[in-house]
Parts: sequence; structure tokens; C-alpha cells
Amino acid sequence: MRLKALDRKLLRDLWRLRWQVLAIALLIACGVSVTVMAFSAQQSLRTAQQRYYAQTRFADVFASAKRAPAETARRLAAIEGVSVVDTRVAYAGLMEVPGLSRPATARVISLPDDPAGGLNRIVLQAGRMPDPARNDEAVAVKAFLDAAHVRIGDRLTATIGGRALSFRIVGSALSPEYVYVPSPESTMPDDAHQGVFWMPRPVVERAAGLGGAFNTVALKLAAGASPRAVMASVDRILAPYGGAPAYERVDQSSNAFLEAELKELSKSATIFPPVFLLVAAALVNLVIGRLVGVEREQIGMLKAFGYSDFEAARPYLRLAMAIGVLGAAGGGVLGLAFGAAITDLYAEYMRFPRLSAAFSWPAFTIASAVAIAATSAGSLGAVRRAVRLSPAVAMQPARPSDYRAGLFERLGLTRRLDQPTRMILRSLERFPVRAGLTVAGLAASLTLLVGTLFMFRALDYVLDHVYYRTQRWSEAVGFAEVRDVRAISAVRRLPGVYAAEPVRLAGARVRANGREARVLVSGVEPWALMDRALDRAGRALPFEGRGVVLSEALARKLSVGPGQAVDLEITEPRRGRALLPVTATAEDYSGLSVYIARPALNRLLAEGDVATGAQLLVRPDARPAFYREIERVPQIVAAASRDDTVANWRRVTTESFRISILIYIGFAGAIAFGVAFNTGRIALAERGRDIATLHVLGFDHRECGYVLLGELALLALLATPLGLVAGDLFAQGIVLAYSRDELRIPATIGPETYAVALTAYFAAVLIACVIVGRRIWTLDLVAVLKTRE
Amino acid sequence: MSRPQARPDMMAQTSAPLVFHVHGLTKTYPSPAGAVQALRGVDLDIRRGETLVLLGPSGSGKSTLLNILGGLDRASSGEILFEGRDLARASDPELTAYRRRSVGFIFQFFNLTPSLTARENVDLITEIATDPMPAERALALVGLSDRLDHFPAQLSGGQQQRVAVARAIAKRPEVLFCDEPTGSLDSESGIQVLEAIQGVAAEVGATVMIVTHNAGVAGIADRIIRFRDGLIVEVAENSEKRSPKDLVW
Ligand SMILES: Nc1ncnc2c1ncn2[C@@H]1O[C@H](COP(=O)(O)OP(=O)(O)OP(=O)(O)O)[C@@H](O)[C@H]1O
Ligand SMILES: [Mg+2]
Repeated sequence: MRLKALDRKLLRDLWRLRWQVLAIALLIACGVSVTVMAFSAQQSLRTAQQRYYAQTRFADVFASAKRAPAETARRLAAIEGVSVVDTRVAYAGLMEVPGLSRPATARVISLPDDPAGGLNRIVLQAGRMPDPARNDEAVAVKAFLDAAHVRIGDRLTATIGGRALSFRIVGSALSPEYVYVPSPESTMPDDAHQGVFWMPRPVVERAAGLGGAFNTVALKLAAGASPRAVMASVDRILAPYGGAPAYERVDQSSNAFLEAELKELSKSATIFPPVFLLVAAALVNLVIGRLVGVEREQIGMLKAFGYSDFEAARPYLRLAMAIGVLGAAGGGVLGLAFGAAITDLYAEYMRFPRLSAAFSWPAFTIASAVAIAATSAGSLGAVRRAVRLSPAVAMQPARPSDYRAGLFERLGLTRRLDQPTRMILRSLERFPVRAGLTVAGLAASLTLLVGTLFMFRALDYVLDHVYYRTQRWSEAVGFAEVRDVRAISAVRRLPGVYAAEPVRLAGARVRANGREARVLVSGVEPWALMDRALDRAGRALPFEGRGVVLSEALARKLSVGPGQAVDLEITEPRRGRALLPVTATAEDYSGLSVYIARPALNRLLAEGDVATGAQLLVRPDARPAFYREIERVPQIVAAASRDDTVANWRRVTTESFRISILIYIGFAGAIAFGVAFNTGRIALAERGRDIATLHVLGFDHRECGYVLLGELALLALLATPLGLVAGDLFAQGIVLAYSRDELRIPATIGPETYAVALTAYFAAVLIACVIVGRRIWTLDLVAVLKTRE
Repeated sequence: MSRPQARPDMMAQTSAPLVFHVHGLTKTYPSPAGAVQALRGVDLDIRRGETLVLLGPSGSGKSTLLNILGGLDRASSGEILFEGRDLARASDPELTAYRRRSVGFIFQFFNLTPSLTARENVDLITEIATDPMPAERALALVGLSDRLDHFPAQLSGGQQQRVAVARAIAKRPEVLFCDEPTGSLDSESGIQVLEAIQGVAAEVGATVMIVTHNAGVAGIADRIIRFRDGLIVEVAENSEKRSPKDLVW
């Protein structure tokens, strides 16, 4: 089919404006790609998760007890709505791993008697299952083997309950319970120090001293069953056996982490793209608006020859749509690449048997439709002008643009200015909408820069606050169960320890105003120096009697404040419940926490002077000796090191967080560049004649450059304060949107953030200016002066 | 009011049917500085195949009349019958259809589309016409067979205007309106353009109306119409009609 002449014109216009078109399409591509990336990654995670959960029969409800007789399982199975009950024996201790400076936690879990039965089945990745006839073979979670560089065939010895358990790794496996292996001391995974092992049930029962009993149970519910009712029954049945409250899948730590990640992906898919699409629409408005202005006589000619109003205006709409289509296509490709990259990144710490990159067609289709709608909408003003244009303009000579003395003149501001500056000011007054859109677009770029860059510094701030100001211990140890506080003196005698404070940690539910949260309660010494609750000014908050200090996030969640009371129900490992006064709220960035004086907590639980662990200061040079020694202390089952935790934090954040921030910086730069470049090109097209004339009249290149780009520079400066203020607001919004219970980021923006943002912003504008400005040097004077536009 | 409009009965075209019958045509432009009366009551009959030349001082309303006859603008009052249909009362779509089917325009500043070649510029119009001639033939009629694939920037002013002529007549219009078609050209290219207009108008049997400041151009007219202050002051039959070649500029 032969192309219609108007379509050819459209294609040639596209080609002539290709750099401008590409700059706008790039912005659209950025916006579309974020959506496609997020939803594609979400889809691949979701698909992998669902397939995996179904394949391994991941449980719906989880519970544990100290020691429940085997026949309890039958009573659990009889609960209405329960379809499968799977009991296990699990216990934990410390183990030395060759090559690691500090002992790792070893969690040993019993395998079901029928290897193909049960819930939360493991999926063997390499090696084989343990021989049920042998008592020294184990399958290990793959994440641990990879991170700790332990191979199949290696032998490990864990110290659990004071007894050594030695086993050989015969296989590596994945488990739906450990897609993401949480580390108890940090919000970040620490795979090398979190060993999970599965061994035949008789071996684990014997080692744990739980013959004929179990201590953890997983339940699968029948379709339509009420988890709440089931959990209540489970709690009732397990209570006599030291049961801890049952929890649902949503509260299972690996699954909760996964869900939080999935939710975050939807957020980025909805927060960022609108910024790009709005700016792109504004640019389309400028570029096509100008095109219609230049082609007035053409449009009039078409109408004079009998093209209908709409037919004559349609090419401009099509041009806008073509930009949208181009951008959407680019966004699809970029989104596919980013989606695959982010899925790869997830594969580093989320262990699925299969995690394959997906492409979300629905997201791509919707994002593309929105992008094309946005560019079309951007062109509407120009298209409407083209529709309204009278065909009689074809008969008139082109008029000089309608300049007049404006506000600046009337205010007498221009009297002392030179002519080029007057040209700039009059142009601003002549095209206020264009100037406004340019400022808005440039400000949007700066907004995005400030609003994302602040997170770099904010993360450091959080680390410092959490690990160096709130918690000041260098190592922490946890006991297998509550111990008399005198046990601390044994810990204090360990090599290198020069200070030790007991701590009583407990899982709890806290309720107020009809709201509820699962929290960790820290019972610390009233005089504690190593784990403190701080107020906003960084001062340690004192404890008053039975009063509790809530972290600000928790206080917000429950909407309570000092002077009010909360209902605290301790659920693990003992039960107790009381209405306690809130004495203060603490600034806190990670987790939902409740601080209480340890004696008050002990009294609440009627348990005597006990602790669950200790926080220590250990001389750095004595650490190896310290760690060698604690393995021999039977009651210590967990050990954490601040330096390791912080290093681990940084490693994980550099991997995921910084990559996405860098992408956003690139995107923000693209906005600044796209806006500046398009504005510059429009100015060049509009003033090409003026500039060539000035050049002929003896102005030098620099003076011509000033006439061309001075306006842009002025607008870029005007946009700066706007962008900085909006960036501040945007940062607050980001903080609100991305805060989770585990990690909140303060929206404090430091001077370095402003400095980096401004540098990136002005660099992008400058690059655009240089590219446009180069034209002045290569301007063909004769050609410019000869052509009418 | 005296209307010195002569109606010579011995004109060659007397037998030809009327294309336009214009009666009492006025046009007032509102403007902030007060209304401008561009036309103050124009009466005019135009017969098929005639070539009319409109002369008159700047601002006298020539372009205004041309625009209204061409369906680009609307009269304030009066009647304009085109082949019996009243353009003054036509709807916008009817005016568009009228321009599409029956009218060709030639502008002083050519108004070619710079991003299309000569052939494509002609195609732009033939594509929406009902019975057009091929672009190549239209361009051959104006003597540009060897410039089919040139872009406007690669053509001289006269050549560009001849492309515009080809564009205007390719659809075989019944009327051809030319507003100062030679206004931006030197005499030699002006003559070539007028030759092209006259030649192709004869070929398709179009009625031609040319607005010009150049009294010399009037030589090619069948009738010469003089304008002043929004009124026709004289309609003169051109007894010695010349071919463009013989014009003196
Ligand atoms: N759109 C408009 N708005 C207001 N006044 C107009 C408009 N168009 C034309 N006029 C006025 O109408 C009068 C006639 O204008 P017109 O363009 O018809 O003159 P003309 O005879 O073609 O002049 P020229 O030879 O200079 O082209 C002029 O006084 C002009 O100022
Ligand atoms: Mg005129």
C-alpha cells in the first residue's frame, strides 16, 4: 500500500524531530519500564511462590510447644477445619563452621517418616536424603551451604543443649519455610550464620530428649476454614504443654518478608511512573504546540483545499501518539531487562527451586495505554488550536510573533538591561505556559533526585542510630531458655568480655484502641547502657515502675501516647498479661518494640529474676577466643556480632537498594536532560533566524549562545528552589509509602543530598545546553536566513 | 449609491452558464479599535471559464472577497450563489465539501509542505479529491516533469509556485482562486506561473480569479475588476486579452 502524503509528512517530521522525539520517548520508557519491571518481578515472584507452596504443601498455621505428647496430634487433627497435621521436633544450638569467625546458629528439624509426606516438604537440590538407618546424616538448607562454603560430604558438629551432635551433610535442599532465611538479630539475611538441617526423626528426638513427643507443628486447613478459630483451638490444646501461640502463614517470617517485598514492588510501580508521564506530556505539549505554530499556514492550506478541520489536525495527534508508542515499546524492552535483573537479584536471597523472569503483559498493556493517552492529552491543546485555525490564514503572510511590552517593562525592570536580556525576558512573557511547563519539568527532575538520593544517607543514619546509639553492645548471646540472672556472671567470665548486661526478650501481642500488633518486648536493666530507648534528642529514656516505652512506629500504629495504657500479652515463652502505662515513646527505625524494665517484666510473668540472654562488650582482639569458648557454654544457642550485622546490612543494601537508587538517579537525569534539550531545541528553531542575524551583525558565538540558552538557564535556576522544596515533600511521601515494620527511614535530608542532587541536575541541564549550543557554531547562516522557518 | 458596474452584453462568455451570483455582499470584521467594513455591498456575476483579475489598492477588500468566494470565510450579509447553492448559508461541513470538490487555491507564499516532494505535495490534495489527474500529469502541465522528487527547498520560487499551481488544478477544480500568485516572484518566473495557470485552467475548464497589485497582469483577463474601499468601482472587459508571454511588467 502506498503511504498517504500526510503520513509521509508525519514520518519525515518524526525523523526531523528525532532527537526531541527520542528524548521524550525516553522519559516515557522510564515510566513504563518501572511499571513493567515491578509487575514483572512481582509476577515471577508470585508465580514461583504459588507453585512452590503448592508443590511443597506449605502449611497455613504454625505452632510450637515445649513438649507435646505424640497423641496430641490426633486432637489437633480433630479440630474443625484442619485437614493435615504435621508434627516435628526442632531444636537449636551453636556450631562452629570452618572459615567463619563466629559460631553459626544450627537449627535441626526432624524429617517426616514418610519422605514424600508431611507439610513444608523440602526440595532436594543436590545429594540425597539422609539414610534413616544412620544417625549422622543431614540435609542442609542450600542458602547456608552456599554462603558458608560448606560442601556436601563435609562434617559439622553442633552443640545443642550442652551435647555435641555431629553429622555429615549428604544433601542440599530448599524449604518453603526458608525461602528467605531470617536472621534473628537483624532485618537483613545472614545466610552463613543460619544453618538449617533436616535429620531423620528418631535421631532428632533422641538428641533433643523428646522421645515420643514433638515441639513444633504445622497445620493445613480445609478450604473455607477460619484460621482464627483453628488457632484458638490449637492454643487451647497445646497450652498445657508449654505452647506458644499459633500463628498464620502471613506471620511466618519467610513468607512475611516475601509478601512485604511484593507489596513494595507495587508501590514503586505506582509512585514513580506518573512523574515521568506528566513531564513527557508537558514536553509533547511544548514540541507539538510549537510545530502547530510553525505550520499554521500549512494547516490553513490543507483546510483551504478541503481537508476537514479534524483531518488537518490529525497528524499532530498521531505524532503525539507515535511518541507514546515509541516510548511504550522502549519501556517494554527496558522493563523486561530491569525485571530480569531484579529477579536475578532476588534469586540471591530468595531461594526458590525455580525463579524465572516473567514479563507482565497486563502491566505493559496498561502502562502503554496510559503513556499513549498521556502524550495524546499533551498534544490536545495544540491539536485544538490546529482544529480551530481558520483556513484563511493560508492566505496571509506569516506574521511576526506577537511581542509587546510586558510586565517587566511596565515595572521598569528592563531599562538597564542589554538587548539580549530583553529578548529573553520578553520571550518568557510571551510564552508563559511554555516557561511554566519547562520550570515544572525541571523541578520534577530535581524532586525525584532529592526524593531518592536522601535514602543513601538515611540508611547510614539508621545504621548509626540502631547499632551505635540505641544498641551499644558489640556481641549478644541468647540462651536456649530463660536462665537465672546469675548465669550472666558466667558469661562475664568469658574471654574478652568487660561488660555484660542481662536482657529478657519476649514475644508479645500488644493491644490498644482496638488495634493489635505482634512485637518484641525487651526487658532491660533500668540502668542499661547497652540497649536503650532514646528520645528524639538522643537522650536515654528512664523507666518508671511498670511503665513501658513504645517505639514511635508502634505508638502510631496503636495510636497511643504517654499517659495512656496498653494491654500487653506476653506469648512466648511464658504467658502473662497486664494493662501497663506508656511512659514515653522512643525514636526507633527498625521493628516494633516495647521496652520495659526487666524486673517489671519478670514480675509480670511471675518468673523470678531471669534473663533470656546477655548483651556484651567484647575486646576486639579477644573475639576469636570468646567465640571458641561460647560454643562450650551449653545454654548459649545464639550469638550476634554488631560488626557482622552492620557489614551484612551494608552488603545487602549495596546490592539491592543502591541499584534501584542508581536507576532512579539516571531516570531523574533523563527528565532534566529531556526537558532542557527540548526547550533548547525549540528555542533554537524559534530564534535560529534571530541568532543568525545577530551573528551576521557581528555578535560572537558566546553572545549568541546567551540569547539562545540564557532563557533556559534562567528557567533552570527558577526551578531549583521549587524542586528542592518538592523533593522534601516527595521524600516524606516515599518514607510513608516504603516504611515497613522492620525498617523505617527518616525523612531528614542532609546538605550532601542537596549537593549531589543539584550537581546531577545541573550536569544534566548543562549537557543538554552543550548539545544544543554546539549548533550555534555549526549554524549555516545562509540556509537559516534563506528559509522561512 | 451609484454603482458604475457595466455589464457588457457582447462578452464571449455571455452564453456560458453562471458559476457565481453575488449580491449585496458585505463583510465587517470586529476589532478592538472598532469594526472594519472590508466589503460594503458587492454585486458580481461570474461565468464559467472566465478569467477575472481583481485590482485595487491595499486594504480595499480584494482578499476578503476571494476568501469568501473560496469558502474560507463567511460573509456578514448578502448572497453568494455557487451553481445555484447559497454559500452564505452553508454549514461548515458543506463549506469544507465545497472546497474539497470545487475549489483550487494558489497563495502568494506558495505554502508548500517543506517535508514533501513536489509530487507528494500534489498528492496531498489529489488523495482527498474525487476525480483527480495523476500528480505526474499535473506537474507535466506546469513544466516540472523533471522535478517530481525535489523538495521545495530544492526549487526556485517560480518552480515552487508552479508546484502550487499543479497542486491547485490536479483535482480539476471548477474555480481557481489566486491571491497575488506572482507577488513574490520576478517577472520571468511570474510569467511562467501565469502561463501555467492559464494553460491548465483551460485544460480543466476552470474559472480563474486572480488578485494582484500588478496592473500588467490584468492583460490576461477576460474582465478586469477594480476595487476601492470595499466596493467594486469598475468592471471592464479586456478587449485586448494577451497571453502571459506578451505581458509587460
Ligand atoms: N481578520 C481581520 N480582522 C480585522 N480586519 C481585517 C481582517 N482581515 C482583513 N481586515 C481588514 O479588512 C480590510 C480589507 O482587507 P483585505 O485583506 O481584503 O485587503 P486587500 O485588498 O487584500 O489588501 P492587500 O492588497 O494589501 O492584500 C483591511 O482594512 C483589513 O485591515
Ligand atoms: Mg490581499
